[in-house]
Amino acid sequence: MHPPITPADLAILIDESAVAARRLHLKLVLPAADLDDLRQDLLVDLICRLPGFDARRGSIGAFAGIILRNQSARIAIRHHRQRRAQGGTVLSLDAPIAGGVEPLGCLLAETDGLAAWHGQDASAAEDAELRHDLALALGALPEETRRLCAALGTCAIAEIVSHNDISRSALYRRIARLRLDLAMRGFGAWWDASRVA
Amino acid sequence: MLIMPRTAFIPARPRPLTDVEFCAWIGQAMPDDRLEYHRGFLGIDTTAVISTLPEPERRRLGALASAAHRAFEADLVHLVQVRLGPDRFAYLAIARTKPRRPPKALDRLLEDAEAA
Repeated sequence: MHPPITPADLAILIDESAVAARRLHLKLVLPAADLDDLRQDLLVDLICRLPGFDARRGSIGAFAGIILRNQSARIAIRHHRQRRAQGGTVLSLDAPIAGGVEPLGCLLAETDGLAAWHGQDASAAEDAELRHDLALALGALPEETRRLCAALGTCAIAEIVSHNDISRSALYRRIARLRLDLAMRGFGAWWDASRVA
Repeated sequence: MLIMPRTAFIPARPRPLTDVEFCAWIGQAMPDDRLEYHRGFLGIDTTAVISTLPEPERRRLGALASAAHRAFEADLVHLVQVRLGPDRFAYLAIARTKPRRPPKALDRLLEDAEAA
């Protein structure tokens, strides 16, 4: 059983991991979102190897430096191998591909993007349509109901009750009416003819 | 020839229309689509004491009639009744053309509402 790590030593490990992650992140030219993953991978590997630390042979900072350097090298080798397997270098979205004039970013559809690969089906065109439909629906509501909508978007029920001098049951009645108002403008409820007489 | 076996289940009976379902129909209806939302005598069927409907049913119908009137006031439907016989009508909602141009951008609408 190894003695528990002190908070001071843990702080050193975290700092060293962060420095090593930033260095590796820059070296591999990775997206910003990958920095946290790198930092965490390096720190976990370092903690797993702590049982091999011997205080008589050097400081914990030196131990961490060696471990992090080796693990960074392994990650970099793995990363280069993956890039080679994918057929080469990273392409810029702002630069045209060979033989063309349009930037690569203009030629890719939303469904080719990283977000779509990860299951996020957001599309700029659909977003614009949704905003238009919302503006249409909200614009048709009375001013008071629109205020309620805006308040519900940012405040808890208790807060609205206390600020507007309205009873909780009256507020819920207004929300029920709001639900109908939005449903008749195409939001929130779905019509299924097979389920009603 | 393919012979379908007899079904071993009883299909679920459709439920009477609720106010939310009625509003959802309006939300998705094309102009001139029509929906019969009640058959009977709405004025009597929704009034306590004289209505012959069970109380939960009468309340559901009252809420549905209110939603229909609300949609009519918002210029989303025409409300029409067709006489079927003595004291018996079919109540129809006919979808109207929806406005296409929002009065203001969404951000402006929300900012104005929050500022008020």
